[in-house]
Formats: sequence, C-alpha cells, structure tokens
Amino acid sequence: MPNPTALTPYPVTITKIVDETSDVKTFTVVFDDPEIMENFGNKPGQVCMLSVFGEGESTISITSAPTRGKFLEFTVKRVGRLTDVLHQMEVGQKFGVRGPYGNWFPFDIMKGKDLFFVGGGFALAPIRSLIDYALSDQYRSDYGKVEILYGSRSYDDLCFKSDLFERWPGLSNTAIYTTVDRGDENWKGRVGHVPGYVEEVAPSPENKFAIIAGPPIMIKFALPVMEKLGFKDEQIITTLEMRMKCCLGKCGRCNIGSKFVCVDGPVFSLAQLKNMPQEY
Amino acid sequence: MEARIVKKGQLSELLDKLAQEYDLVAPVQEETLTFFRKVSGAKDVFLEYTNSDVSPKGCFLPQNEKTFNYTYTGDSLEIVKPGDEKKTVLFGARPCDARAITTLDPVFEGEKFGDEYYSSKRENTVIIGLSCSKVLSTCFCYAFDGGPCDGTGSDLLFTEIGDKYYVEVNTEKGKVLADKYSQIFSSQGADQLAKGKEEIAKKLAGEFVRKVDLTGVKELLDDNFELPFWNGDDYKKCIGCGTCTYVCPTCHCFDIFDHTIGDFNGARFRCWDSCMYPEYTLMAGGHNPRPTRKERVRNRFMHKLKYHLDRYNMVGCVGCGRCIRKCPVNIDITKIINDLKEVAQNA
Amino acid sequence: MMGVIQQLREQAKKLLEEKKVDLVIGFGQGTELARTTPVFIDSPEGVSALTWGPFCANNLAKYLIDYKNAPGNVAVVVKGCDSRSVIRLLDDNQISRDKVVIIGVPCAGQLEWQKVAAEVKPGAGLKETADNGESFSVKTDAGDYSFNKKDYMLHRCLVCENPNPVISDITVGKELPVKNYEERFAEVSELEQMSTEEKSAYWDKQFSRCLRCYACRNVCSVCTCQVCVFDQMLPMWVSKRTNLSENTVFHITRAFHVAGRCVDCGECDRVCPMDIPLRKLNQLSPLGEFKPEDPEEFM
Repeated sequence: MPNPTALTPYPVTITKIVDETSDVKTFTVVFDDPEIMENFGNKPGQVCMLSVFGEGESTISITSAPTRGKFLEFTVKRVGRLTDVLHQMEVGQKFGVRGPYGNWFPFDIMKGKDLFFVGGGFALAPIRSLIDYALSDQYRSDYGKVEILYGSRSYDDLCFKSDLFERWPGLSNTAIYTTVDRGDENWKGRVGHVPGYVEEVAPSPENKFAIIAGPPIMIKFALPVMEKLGFKDEQIITTLEMRMKCCLGKCGRCNIGSKFVCVDGPVFSLAQLKNMPQEY
Repeated sequence: MEARIVKKGQLSELLDKLAQEYDLVAPVQEETLTFFRKVSGAKDVFLEYTNSDVSPKGCFLPQNEKTFNYTYTGDSLEIVKPGDEKKTVLFGARPCDARAITTLDPVFEGEKFGDEYYSSKRENTVIIGLSCSKVLSTCFCYAFDGGPCDGTGSDLLFTEIGDKYYVEVNTEKGKVLADKYSQIFSSQGADQLAKGKEEIAKKLAGEFVRKVDLTGVKELLDDNFELPFWNGDDYKKCIGCGTCTYVCPTCHCFDIFDHTIGDFNGARFRCWDSCMYPEYTLMAGGHNPRPTRKERVRNRFMHKLKYHLDRYNMVGCVGCGRCIRKCPVNIDITKIINDLKEVAQNA
Repeated sequence: MMGVIQQLREQAKKLLEEKKVDLVIGFGQGTELARTTPVFIDSPEGVSALTWGPFCANNLAKYLIDYKNAPGNVAVVVKGCDSRSVIRLLDDNQISRDKVVIIGVPCAGQLEWQKVAAEVKPGAGLKETADNGESFSVKTDAGDYSFNKKDYMLHRCLVCENPNPVISDITVGKELPVKNYEERFAEVSELEQMSTEEKSAYWDKQFSRCLRCYACRNVCSVCTCQVCVFDQMLPMWVSKRTNLSENTVFHITRAFHVAGRCVDCGECDRVCPMDIPLRKLNQLSPLGEFKPEDPEEFM
C-alpha cells in the first residue's frame, strides 16, 4: 500500500507511449515496486500526482480502468514545462507517481443504469476510466446501455482513436457517436459541435446517468441541452480540473468554497455544483 | 490542572539547559523586529515583546522545507528523505500563536491524509506558551474564545506574576518536561498563584479596544457567496501582496517545486505560498478561477471566517492582529467582520 | 487641517456632481487613530469619507493603473511625493493625462503610525490634527498630543524637497516653503564609507529577512509590468524559496529595474513588513543613474 501520508512519489517505468494527437500522449506505466502496483487500488475518476524530476509535479487523471490490468495510463496534454518534458520521454524511462487521490465516479450508484458519456476534446481522458470500467467483462452486466458521444475540433484532435473506432464499437449494447467541428479529407463522419449532436441523439433521461467532461464552453452549451432532454441535476456527473500542488487537501489552492477539489472531488454531480460557488 | 512555579531568576538557567538538550526556538530581536529563531541559550532570548513580527508557525510549517533529495537520470530514480526531527522546545509562543497551531493540526493531521513532515515536528516539539502582559490596539483574540492568558495549544503556559512565572501544565508532554527540570519547576505554593493569574487575565481582558462581533457573519456567508460588500473598497485598495498571509499564524498554503543541482541531482521543496498572488490558482492552460483581486480577497476572508470553520469546526483566525498591523493599506479583518455583521443585520 | 479636509470634500463633490470624474481616490480614516486607508468614492454623498492630515502616508497614484481602461475619468489625491509618481506613470504611458484629475495637497510630512500609536491611548478617536512647523498636534477624544517631526515622521519626509505637488489640476491647501537638504543622501554616504565586505554583510543581513511578500513591488508606481519576472512561471526565473541567494536576486533585480526611474516616494520602505531599508537600496549610486563614463566592468 503506498503511504498516503507522504508527499513522496514512487518510481514508475514507462512501458508504452501512444501519440493521441499532435499535443496529447498516453503513457502506460507500471510501478517499479510490484507490491505498490498490486495494491494501488485506484478507482475510475481518481487522479495522481506525476513527478517529473527537475520540473515538479502535476495533477493528471488516471485514464485507465483498474479492470484493464496492473498498469496505469495517463493521457497528458502538452501545456507547460512539466508536460513538455514528459512528452520528450521514451519507453523505459522513469518518472514518479503518487496517489490515487480524490473521489471517483459513483459507479455503485450507477449500477443497473444506462450510461451516457459526453466528451469534448482532450477531456475524454478523465471519463475513459469509467467507460472501460463499465465495459469490462467483470462489470459489464452491472450496467445497461453504454453510449459515448465524443467530439473534437478535427479528426486529428480526436483522442483514443483505437478505442473509438476499434475497441469499443464491437462491444455489445454500446453506441459510439463521434463528431468534429471541422471536417477534412480524413473525416467521413458527422461535422458539428457536441451539444448539437447531443440534442440530435436525444438520449432519454430514464434510468440513465450522463457523464460530461469537456472544455468550459462545451459544458456551458451542453448543460441546457441535457436539461431540455429532462435530465435532473443529480443525473449529470462531471469532473473538474483545478491547479493543485499537494492533492492532499492542504496546500489550499483548489478550493471551491469549503470544498477541496483534490479530496472532495474531482467528481461532482451538477446538483452538488449548483450548491457551490461558481469559482472554478 | 497541575501548576508549578518558576522563579524569574531561574529562567535563564532553564533556557540554557533547554538549549543544551533540545533545539530551543525562542523570540529574538533583530533590529526593530522580533522573530522566533533557534537560539544557543538565554542570552539570545528577547522577552520584551508583545508579539513577534512573524508567527512561530514556521516551527511546524517552515517557509522553506526540503521534502526529499532525488537522483534522477531518466532511467533510474532514487529518493532520499530527511532524517528524523530533533527534539525541540518552542519557548515564548503567545497564546494566540499557540492556539493557531491547533487550527493547523486538523489541516495536516486530520481528514484523509496526514503529513509526516508536520507531524514529526509536532510530536517532537514541546510548546511553552507565554501569557501576554500587554494588549495591543490591534489584538482581538477574545473574539475567537482566546485570551491573553489562554493555554490552548501550549503544553506549558508561563504567566508572569511579580518575580515568578506561574506555570500551568496543560499536557502530558508538558508535565514530562517540567518533571525533568523539577529543581526549576517547583510545585510548592503554585496553587496559591492561580488566583493571581486569574486577576491578570481579567485585567488584560478589559484592555481590548477592538470591538469584534461575529453575530450572524457565518450564517450570512453560508447563504451568500456573492455579496455587494465584496465589490467595496477592501478589494479595490488591496495591492495584492502576500504580507497578510505570510505573517498570519493560521495560513497554511504552500507550493511544491523542484530545485535541480547539477545534471542528475535535485531536491523537492515546499514553500509558503499566498492566495493573494494571481498565479496561485492559475492553471497551466491559462484559466484562472480567481482572476482578480476581488475573488482573491473574498477567498481569503471566506477562508478565515467560513471555509476553515466548515471543514474543521474551527475559525481560521486567532485574532493576533498581525495582518492589521502589517497591511500596507489598512485592510482590517475586524472591520470586515463588523461590516459583514451589519450586512447580516440589515438583510 | 480642518480647512483642507473641507476644501478637499468640496472639490471632490464638485468633480463628481459635474460628472468630470466617475471616481475620486483619496484618504479616509483608517481603523487605527493614526492610520488612513485608501477610499474610492463614486458619488457626491460619499465625499464625507475624505480626510487629510499627517497620517496619509500611502501613495495613491498607483491605483490609477487599475482604472486606466475604465470608461470615466478618475481624480486622485496626491502629496508632493505622490505627484512625482503620477508623472512617472504618465511618462511610462501607463495612464493618459486627459483621464486623470490630480488633486494636489501640499504636505508637511507624514508620521509613522506605529510610533504615534505607541503613545496615544489605545482606542482613542481622532478629532483634529494641525501642523505646527516643528511638530504636529493631534487632538483625540482621550486627550491632546504633540509629535515632533524629527522623531515621529517617516524618514523620507525628513529630507523631502517636494512638499508641494509638482503636477496638479486642483490644489487644496497652502503652498509650503521648499527646502533643500544636503543630508538627503547621508544614509547612502554612510553605506559608501563601508568596505565591500561590510556592505555585503549589511545587505545580506537585510535580504535574509525578506519574506518575498512582494509588497515593495506591488506598491511601487514604477513596477508596472503586466507579468512581473518574479511571477512568471514559464520559465520560473526565481524560485519561491526564501534564502539569501534567491532573495538577493529579487532585490537586486528590482533595484536595477527601478534604477533611474524611481521617484523616491519611499513606499517600498514604508510597506516592508520586515523593515528592509529599500529606499536606501534605491538611492544607492550607481544603481540610481547610469553615466556614459561609467567603467565598463560595472556593466
């Protein structure tokens, strides 16, 4: 069991790197200490602190579901110095990981329900862990239909292409809807924004949870659509991003009102968010 | 409660002995200011102060703290953590500052995660509080159930009465220390001084000039995040420096970053950070949830008066008055409390 | 000072009533007898909050930057030293002259509030102040006090050569006689007498106290970069660690950055919670000016 009281990261080794887009990569890592890997106990929706030595730490959500095996996947967008260095790393190299932190998607409460995922751009990463969890052999029967509606700016900006076009579509009782803002020669599918597509697909709110993650502008326009379709605030689940330093509820900066996103979040229902200050 | 007596004439002897056996941290004077620093003996200790310019919270949460050294080559990684903390005595913490440490405890030792760095210092430190002998115009500890002779947070509390210190033994840790130096901590006649201490406490309690009334403030803030009040002068005049947060005994925010030494070696540090700085909440992608001074000022006072209370059932302020004294533009938490009370009353 | 206060309020009221400005930035009574606090008045009824006296140490000029993109005009109350800041801001294109109304008040000096507070009965209310040449009289509801300037005034005021604002649209109060002080740089001269080692030891001692709260920078009307090099995260030039090395980099960089532009308003010195003598650092030659004949090694 990793020592959760420590600010100390544990060494991991990169076993695989996938280029998702021009500035997004997915790193598959395993802890050097097999015992830590065995007992890591991450749940879908949780996050880790990634240590790039010399650059510090950054909060990154665990993209993989624990059901997929004894490894962790982190999908990282290049946005600053730390992620810049991370992107230059190669298979076999090491960095540090501590965690898992935060709460998780309420997969217990979701049992017996259909799941409708709405993702935009890079933000499919934090909800992918729950998708894979619900689609795993182990837990597939716990959930009803799994639908994934995902869009990005262009075909090149779609993350997890092998999941979207190969792994997920073949699974039973599953539907994948993809869209891009701007079409090009590589794209034969739908062109248009995510909220409009949600309206078109018009999922029924009955016996369903909607899990939404995306850039603020997408969320802003998607929420009224969900509301119009009859989804209640309790049925809409999202995950937040804030600047964090400790991820232990101590360093102060990720608070929204009295809540710390790092320990009380990052997963919140819209009902919860509506009771919190709009400061995120 | 047990009590002892230490003759004033024996204080130097006690401090010298403590400095020999422990790391002794005590108030020292540097130019016009008072700080808590590690001292070599009684000669360095300065007791003619009402309150130090920076609080002694640094004993437990230093402004700079190395969390570990690392050697990293890309293919290999080794992390070496610092050794155990030395046994320490913090001498001369004023009651507000000792109480402040009890507001930090739940942050670092409670909830889901502990903090080995804080806890090991906390465990290895005996806090000897020193009752105030004077109340400053900026003091308002009474508003949060504190007081100039309050023992909360002190393992031992010294109160000056004539040529003696009346010493209250508040914890087992304190008792062990007093027993260790039993030739200085005398039990004889201690009980008779209890009344004297009460009188001093009562006299000092009458010297507060700041009227602070929290009636309805928490309830107001519970129900209202957006208040026209926050659009007032307090944020307009804030210059956005970190003074209030750095001199505050209950502020605990920190930053974590690496310092590289050579090609492969480095150390990770955590350092105090301030919620008043724009980059404090600035995300790598450029989004800032608290983009202007208004949000930042509101957050600081909400933290003190509501958030800390919500989370830990303790007010995040102890009334030491440092932020009032040091603020370059006279932003005054007591005025903010009283103004909010008025808003609550008129609501 | 009652006359000046009255006139100030009248002038401010007039400006607001005639819609010549949307906002008046001035001094209001603070929460301590001997302190004022900046007030931001946007209605004629609000002008009664304005005050004046020997407790108006703050330089309000820098607030003008906060309103440079505001739709209306802004009036600001300035002392002699503050007026130099306004000129600095104008020269640096930080504010535009036509959007600012400068209310200048001749200033006989400012008292250190902590020193006054130590003498006055705690909790006393301020009634009136008056300049008596060598001293200020301070009438309170708990008795009258007199504070001689030599002992109670801010250091910067003891050698002030600009008691009258050097730029103003409206002047309130009587112009004061201007004096020149040969001893203006006495403290710096003292420093210059020191050996290099002594100087280094002196500043090491000062800088090691720094908390890096950046009050000196934030209060400075010369520090107007949109993103300061010390706040920049990409790259992070100076770490948040407070130690002599990082602190020295901060102070020397800051001193160089204000060199030749510092208007010697002394605000950095006043606001430093650690009493670092920053004004002395700013006044230090050769940081104060560059000359073509400076030896090249210096650069």
